[in-house]
Amino acid sequence: MSGCGLFLRSAAAARLGRALVAFTASRRPLRTSPPSQAFAKELFLGKIEKKEVFPFPEVSQDELNEINQFVGPVEKFFTEEVDSQKIDREGKIPNETLEKLKSLGLFGMQVPEEYGGLGLSNTMYARLGEIISLDCSIAVTLAAHQAIGLKGIILAGSEEQKARYLPKLASGEHVAAFCLTEPASGSDAASIRTRATLSEDKKHYVLNGSKVWITNGGLASVFTVFAKTEVVDSNGSVKDKVTAFIVERDFGGITSGKPEDKLGIRGSNTCEVHFENTRVPVENVLGEVGGGFKVAMNILNSGRFSMGSAVAGMLKKLIEMTAEYACTRKQFNRNLSEFGLIQEKFALMAQKAYVMESMAYLTAGMLDQPGFPDCSIEAAMVKVFSSEAAWQCVSEALQVLGGSGYMRDYPYERILRDSRILLIFEGTNEILRMYIALTGLQHAGRILTARVKQLKQGNVTTIMETVSQRVRDSLGRTVDLGLTGKLGAVHPSMEDSAHKLEQNVHYFSRTVETLLLRFGKTIVEEQLVLKRVANILINLYGMTAVLSRASRSIRVGLQNHDHEVLLANIFCTEAYYQNLFALSQLDKSDLRREERGTPRNSEHWHPTPTVLTRLSPPAVGMTKWLLQQILRKISMN
Amino acid sequence: MRLLRLREVKAFFQGHAASHQLGWNWIPRLSLSPKGLKILAASLSCCRWLSDRQRHELGPSHPAGPGPLSGLGRYLQHCPHRSPLLSVVLYPQVTPQAPRGLHCSTAAHNPDSPLVPRPPEPQRGLVKALAPHEELFRQAPDGVRDKASFVQAVQNFTQYNVHKRGHVDFIYLALRKMREYGVERDLAIYNLLLDIFPKEVFRPRNIFHSIFLHYPRQQECGIAVLEQMENHGVMPNKETEFLLTQIFGRKSYPMLKFVRMKLWFTRFKNINPFPVPRDLPQDPVDLARLALRHMEPDLSARVTVYQMPLSKDSTDATDPTEPHIVGIQSPDQQAALAHHDPARPIFVEGPFSLWLRDKCVYYHILRADLLPPEEREVEEIPEEWNLYYPMQLDLAYGRSSWDDYEFNIDEVEEGPVFAICMAGAHDQATLAKWIQGLQETNPTLARIPVVFRLSASSGELLASSSGLEETPLTPPEGREEEENNQQRQQQSQS
Repeated sequence: MSGCGLFLRSAAAARLGRALVAFTASRRPLRTSPPSQAFAKELFLGKIEKKEVFPFPEVSQDELNEINQFVGPVEKFFTEEVDSQKIDREGKIPNETLEKLKSLGLFGMQVPEEYGGLGLSNTMYARLGEIISLDCSIAVTLAAHQAIGLKGIILAGSEEQKARYLPKLASGEHVAAFCLTEPASGSDAASIRTRATLSEDKKHYVLNGSKVWITNGGLASVFTVFAKTEVVDSNGSVKDKVTAFIVERDFGGITSGKPEDKLGIRGSNTCEVHFENTRVPVENVLGEVGGGFKVAMNILNSGRFSMGSAVAGMLKKLIEMTAEYACTRKQFNRNLSEFGLIQEKFALMAQKAYVMESMAYLTAGMLDQPGFPDCSIEAAMVKVFSSEAAWQCVSEALQVLGGSGYMRDYPYERILRDSRILLIFEGTNEILRMYIALTGLQHAGRILTARVKQLKQGNVTTIMETVSQRVRDSLGRTVDLGLTGKLGAVHPSMEDSAHKLEQNVHYFSRTVETLLLRFGKTIVEEQLVLKRVANILINLYGMTAVLSRASRSIRVGLQNHDHEVLLANIFCTEAYYQNLFALSQLDKSDLRREERGTPRNSEHWHPTPTVLTRLSPPAVGMTKWLLQQILRKISMN
Repeated sequence: MRLLRLREVKAFFQGHAASHQLGWNWIPRLSLSPKGLKILAASLSCCRWLSDRQRHELGPSHPAGPGPLSGLGRYLQHCPHRSPLLSVVLYPQVTPQAPRGLHCSTAAHNPDSPLVPRPPEPQRGLVKALAPHEELFRQAPDGVRDKASFVQAVQNFTQYNVHKRGHVDFIYLALRKMREYGVERDLAIYNLLLDIFPKEVFRPRNIFHSIFLHYPRQQECGIAVLEQMENHGVMPNKETEFLLTQIFGRKSYPMLKFVRMKLWFTRFKNINPFPVPRDLPQDPVDLARLALRHMEPDLSARVTVYQMPLSKDSTDATDPTEPHIVGIQSPDQQAALAHHDPARPIFVEGPFSLWLRDKCVYYHILRADLLPPEEREVEEIPEEWNLYYPMQLDLAYGRSSWDDYEFNIDEVEEGPVFAICMAGAHDQATLAKWIQGLQETNPTLARIPVVFRLSASSGELLASSSGLEETPLTPPEGREEEENNQQRQQQSQS
């Protein structure tokens, strides 16, 4: 019985893959000019969209010059004038620093030029992010202002709203804040309590409620606020829906609490914001009434990609400082840098920094392509990878530094504290993993539905096809997705790594089919499965990014490109084995519920006994208890 | 399955005195299965033949006199070397087999300690005598019964009885007296009792001694001591082991019992995932709290004392005493009650019994019937719910049966339970007060019809309920008392 089941399943999955190839092949010629920008989604179907990622996106010479012009003074300012230690200790960014940031135009980096901003492309924004992140408090303040605070106006605002607000926001005269989180509502939009009611003259909304953990809450004079409003449906029923508003501090009734005392990013201003009968004109509704949910999602999805380059910038600086220490500190007449265990840590840091940088710029490049590419999965992957790598690398750097890494006189412990928030804000990594996996599976599921249905119904031809496919796979068929070879996109020096990527992608798609067949739509509940799917996908994207970037470096003959090849190969090998491990975990059904051992909140949870428990005297009349148990059993039967 | 030797059975019948001198050691072993009592009975006819002389001496009123089976039944009950597990298994299978009528002549077992065998009393039919050494326990001054006086009694015995004559009888007596002195959980006392045995005398000296039960009466007495330790959950220690080796040697049944206790106690000690404190609180309100906490799976549930018991002496005889009412309700239950359709009645049911160690308490529940399937609301996922990831996929197919982990779970759906209470009285008037108290926190309850479905005869144990009412403790009046920490409560108790 069980054997039969297995057979069916594998058969089903294999057949799925084949039909898919045919399906996509037939669809190809129908595509029109902006191709579907879904590199990550296509990975779920076992395809590598070479057009999107090979060659690595280039920046035009003009743009490059422009960036370089710009980067110089900013870098100078950050290294010479910003005193991060003081900001951290006092918990406040000094006014003169803020003024200087404004005068450099850093408050309007992505605001279009016609509204007084710099109008930077995503790539240039990422490049600047590298420098700004030298001080995390400033980086977070700026990100809260423009990556989420005023992004709503750029994405969903009307012309009047843009003209009215963007110039002052771009110049830094006004600071923006994004007010979504509430005491009872994190990612759950249904539990938003802030309410906006239409006044009787229908010219104003009256806003009531409070928001917590609002970055820039104390500084900002323009808020993007999400609140529940009553919306009349098409069928006449009244429903509560989320609506976004642009709220100025001058509307009145806005109070902010005292700044929160935080673990890291202490210079940024985080506080509660309360709205009490704030009158918001109807013109200030952002997007449609009742359309706030989409606005919020778009803002959140668009703000993430820059974290990769920012973290990379910070890490590179940290590696520099750590390397200096390791090369001067002597023990046993040898520099620290000569010890293998220290070298290993540097290798890890360099590799992670390289990968996250590649991923970030690849994503930025994809975003900069014409059309409105949807790269939200990619951006989420960059965020997850870079935040986790940052935590790991900073921790390793502290290990190299030994005791001085732990002292407050040095900047290292501050970097450690600052980097912890990366895993939490802009969507926790757990939530983003769910997003990555589920969005991809949704895409794959839609395309595979017909096949899976046939398999579930036991269509003989489909099953036979699938079986033969599986058999061929297991007999060691080489997977060739066309990355290498004569006209291959990847340089021959990384041929092995490219093969590894192809193999992983192939088996990943097989596993996805199996998973969809196994769980169907209930896969939403299988979070442990989803986590592994997301991890594999992040690795695949990282591999693609480094292969693409290193190939480009060889081709244009960059300095030290051999190092890049080395880093790329190391990462690909590591990621390959990680993926194989995760895939094998997904193949076996060892992600059983029983093994999770999750205590539910409302139930008794008995902590595991400590070693000392054994020594406690026997307090229980255990035989009597046992007798009772057995008698109870007997009486029940 | 154990081996029971005819020799043991016989020795038991013969009053233990000179059994080993009779020279029946050559009698081969018999294998006894609990089921195959018939075989044993057959073999016992041979026993009858063997013990002819003794029976003649004993006279007709001795248990062994009328028929061998009565003695056997008793023997099996007191079967000396059984592990805790074995004792459990043997009981239901053996006792029904032994004919009741044959038991008539034996004395009724002491209900307090049914597992401690009474020593055989050879002259019982002839002389109606006091149990020997009873006076040692009676002479305690001023009736103070504590550990010190118990130890004194034991010491008196050893001091004035240098030859330790009748020490087995004395140990049996002491075992029965332990509970009166409140030392039944004291390991040192058990060791003291074992210390009464003369050392080295009962050790088997050769292989035949150790094969056959050597000094059975003494070994049995040693086992009885260990058995009582087991019943009270007292773990033997090194000293016990040392004493046992000195008295009976390594290859003896008390030692076997000791080893088994050592093995199983450690395994069973923490086997109960919901441990009950060893000393239960005496105050009925505290006991009710403990019991309610014990039953309620939700840790965030609140215990409320709706009414404190009025102590009997403070009220007149005309005033009816107010029984205590203690209830528990969790926030989830509160929410469920708030959503309950007022058109559907809810029920107060009970009393149901709950055993906490040796105490039986009674509780009532407030419950509703299960909604019929057509009226249940299907929980639907709102469209715009999660800001970050889709909460559902629009795929046309679900989980395959292969991954349906719940295929073998047989779940019975029951109606919701909204609250539990424990009250001093089980009448409707008292429970109505509980419902009134519940209305303060559950305003919707006022609109829902409440039906009392109280079983007329609760089958309540008289002893335990009277035990509950015996404690006229009056804690200070406080209507709502939140009780967070059981341990703290226990500390205040002790």
